[in-house]
Amino acid sequence: MDYLVIFIPLLPFVAAAIIGFGHLFNQISGQKGEARSADIAKNAIYLSCVAAIALLVADLMGHNEGSLTAVRWLDSGNLEIELNFITSGFSVIVAVLFAIILVIVTRFSTNYIHKESGFHRFFFVLSLFSSSILFLVLSGNAAATFFGWEIAGLCSYLLISFAYDRPVAGINATRVFVTNRIGDTGFILGIALAFYFGDTINWTDLNSAAESMATPTVTIMSLCFVVAAMAKSAQLPFTPWLARAMEGPTPSSAVFYGAVMIHAGIFLIILLRPVIEQAPLTMGLLVVVGLLTAVYSFVVGLTQTDVKSSLCFAISGQLGLMFLECGLGLWELAMWHLCAHAIVRSYQVLTAPSLLHYVHGNPMKPVPETVAKKRWLYIASLQRFWLDPITDRTLVRPVNGLGYDLDRFDKNIIDRAMGDPASSFSAITTLTQLENKTHKNRLEAVHVEFVKGKGIVGKLLEWIANIMNWFEERLVLRGIGMDLVTMGRKLGQAANTFELLILKPRYLVLFVFIVLMLAASI
Amino acid sequence: MGILSTLLLTPLLGILVLAILPGGNASQIRFTANLFATVVFLFSCWLVVDYNQLYGDIQYYEQFIYNPNFNSAFALGVDGLSLPMVVLAAMLTLIALLASFSVVHNIKSYYISVLLLELGMLGVFLSQDWSLFYIFWELTLIPLFILIARWGGTRRHVASINFVLYTMGGSIFMLVSLLAISQYMPEHGGTLMADMTEAARSMPRDEQLWVLLGFLIGFGVKMPVFPLHGWLPLAHVEAPSPVSILLSGILLKMGAYGLIRVVVMLPEATLIVQPYLLFIALFGMIYGGVLAWRQSDLKAMVAYSSVSHMGIVLLGIATLNFTGLTGAVLQMTAHGLVAGALFLLVGLLYERTHTRNILDYSSLVQVMPRFAFFMTITLFAAMGMPGTVGFVAELHAVIGGYQQWGNLMLFLGLSILISAAYAMRTVGMLFTGPVKPQMREIEDLKLYELVAAIILVAAIVLMGLWPSPLIDLSVATITQMNDFISQSIQ
Repeated sequence: MDYLVIFIPLLPFVAAAIIGFGHLFNQISGQKGEARSADIAKNAIYLSCVAAIALLVADLMGHNEGSLTAVRWLDSGNLEIELNFITSGFSVIVAVLFAIILVIVTRFSTNYIHKESGFHRFFFVLSLFSSSILFLVLSGNAAATFFGWEIAGLCSYLLISFAYDRPVAGINATRVFVTNRIGDTGFILGIALAFYFGDTINWTDLNSAAESMATPTVTIMSLCFVVAAMAKSAQLPFTPWLARAMEGPTPSSAVFYGAVMIHAGIFLIILLRPVIEQAPLTMGLLVVVGLLTAVYSFVVGLTQTDVKSSLCFAISGQLGLMFLECGLGLWELAMWHLCAHAIVRSYQVLTAPSLLHYVHGNPMKPVPETVAKKRWLYIASLQRFWLDPITDRTLVRPVNGLGYDLDRFDKNIIDRAMGDPASSFSAITTLTQLENKTHKNRLEAVHVEFVKGKGIVGKLLEWIANIMNWFEERLVLRGIGMDLVTMGRKLGQAANTFELLILKPRYLVLFVFIVLMLAASI
Repeated sequence: MGILSTLLLTPLLGILVLAILPGGNASQIRFTANLFATVVFLFSCWLVVDYNQLYGDIQYYEQFIYNPNFNSAFALGVDGLSLPMVVLAAMLTLIALLASFSVVHNIKSYYISVLLLELGMLGVFLSQDWSLFYIFWELTLIPLFILIARWGGTRRHVASINFVLYTMGGSIFMLVSLLAISQYMPEHGGTLMADMTEAARSMPRDEQLWVLLGFLIGFGVKMPVFPLHGWLPLAHVEAPSPVSILLSGILLKMGAYGLIRVVVMLPEATLIVQPYLLFIALFGMIYGGVLAWRQSDLKAMVAYSSVSHMGIVLLGIATLNFTGLTGAVLQMTAHGLVAGALFLLVGLLYERTHTRNILDYSSLVQVMPRFAFFMTITLFAAMGMPGTVGFVAELHAVIGGYQQWGNLMLFLGLSILISAAYAMRTVGMLFTGPVKPQMREIEDLKLYELVAAIILVAAIVLMGLWPSPLIDLSVATITQMNDFISQSIQ
């Protein structure tokens, strides 16, 4: 029954393709097409859910071999990447769970997004996401998992900026995406290290190879994957992106951040269990990060006043607990926690818009007296521990500054060197400038009259005077005198700018990086 | 304490007194500054009377070693070359102060700066030690920079920076040359001018040439010689009129004075570059004259005429004979008086009309007869009319040049012709022509302006009519220098 696994990610992908192309070629559009695209998406995810359940049943009954290799995707020297799947164990369970949640959310969205302008877009992205997350969960090697990982991130970006005509949505989407890219860097590095040290990127092979690896090697490799997991699962210091991601429509929030995608990080950790168990340092990191995130989310969650924000900090808190459990070696518990949390949370987020109606007459419990009296904690909680401003100051602004500097370098040096057309700054733009110019010309005209000579000697003198005057003006006064001063001033300004730039922390950091890279290359 | 130290310390005392005085009382400050300038002038007059003209060596010599490690000495003295310059400096400072009544804001710092400038100028002419000379040389830059940058015209900042950059650039070459000579001094030999002259003689010929080139650049910027004059038009035009008087009257002479001292020190090298010096001098004279002819700005015209006239000094120096040297020394005094008077009068005119464009003027003789009188005489002196001091100097230079190069002096004649052209035209455009309504209400010279103008014009005319006292003052020193040069050359 192993072959069923291929259909699980494939069906939603086909649905996404049909909706996408249909919309592109105007076959599915407008309010009339709503039922069509919803049906396509629904049916695809239904079928894939059925397939997943069938696969699970087969696995439980012992009909599965545990893995399936579909085709060889890439073969280059030692590197060999196959399109293979895991068809037994935790992955299948998670796949079934996610598929069921996706079915529910897709069904829910049909009514929720009804009559909104981006209806088809939403179902396209939702189907694509369903495909990618199921692919992520089921795929048997790191490269394919990363494939699903990235597509899921992209879908997240697309749905946060669902209402892209609102500037806030665009900014938040970009911010979330960029934050997640930090984790992606870790993932890619992890894949590279896995191939370098373990000679394989198949999860099963890697897990078995980990036992024979040296502890530092495993530690570094696992740390890379853990960073990716931390970013995806909104652990400290990446937590703030989760609050920003709530910008998207409710069903997408539910599916991405309540139930499905947010668990991809912890799923990766559980998948890499044998590797991580070899690295005590990574386990320690999991404990520390998980605990800190849980505490942070709890404290910040206390002061949130809207449903979505408090839910989002509850989510990151629970995920922190899962990390903690993994770090402590309670893998079983973490797995149960993951599944239970996904179910509960998807319900909560989906019902968030009507939550006030449900909890009416059910007052909230006030915080304990001792905590309530700590004012600094209140401020810190309100400000979410200033994580966003700190990131802005330490990362965003320097990078922005670097970009600005490079842009200036490009404009002032490269463009000029390459013969960019002259800017319009030197052209006459105001009436005053024009008047000044004509006035100057008038004065010159009077002056020319003044130096007119008469007769041969007079003409000769006039010519000589004009030549000498040209020489004096151009070379002696302007060339040596004025230009010397101007050049000196320009040089001074350039030196000042250089000095200012070089003193900025970003260049110090850059310098340190360059030195480190040089040192590493030697 | 000798007479020369007293002379030098008087402006310093004036600065200290001015620094103590409250800044608000304008007349008190003006009076104090003028008083000290007058005292300096009287001292210098007494020096002229007391000076032994028959004796060409350094007189009133005094020495105080201030740096025993290197034997650098505070050595002062005058001879027939520096004495006229000392008197001229004292006199023109007094006249500049008389012309400074139009300065109304920040007068305290203004007068302090002028006195500091006088201190620097006197120091340059009095010092008999190259290190001291260099210190005073650089000292003049500071007050001049302040004076131009604070009280100058619209482009004063550019002008002052330009001026300082040029002069400093030149000074570096001078300093390098001095250091090069000091390589040939005995250890702890000091930097006395007389000792350095001895040392320079022991240098190899090619090194002498390089050293001379360094000095030529250093002094040539100040003088100015033809390609190095870029700072001059701007600085002269933008400086306030009293400062233009000092700049053109004394500061340019510092360059010429230094050059004469250097030529005496390095006569063999000078002989090698003699043809080039001649070319620069002649070309510079014609160049300055033609450009002066082309200027419609009165101050710029006077500034370029300075370039032209200082060419005569360079020509006189380049002849390396007695008559030519005499001409150079005389021309230094003559040009100091003429340029000083021209800038004084142009400045006074500018204060009244606030335009320097010669095309705006017309028929001034009707409203300003006294001004017209003095201006005409000064312009005639500028073109070397017989009966003015300019003629005497030019005559010597022409004779000296003719002895050396013969018919090439035709070009000198040409430059004098050009100077006549612009001087005559200026007289015509200023004082004759149709009456313009905006030129009807101009006040003639006031009393103290009259005093200043009379002093200068009287000196120009008297020395032109009866030049022998002026010549006698320097002749013994010039003879001595000439003997020294001709011995070395042969």
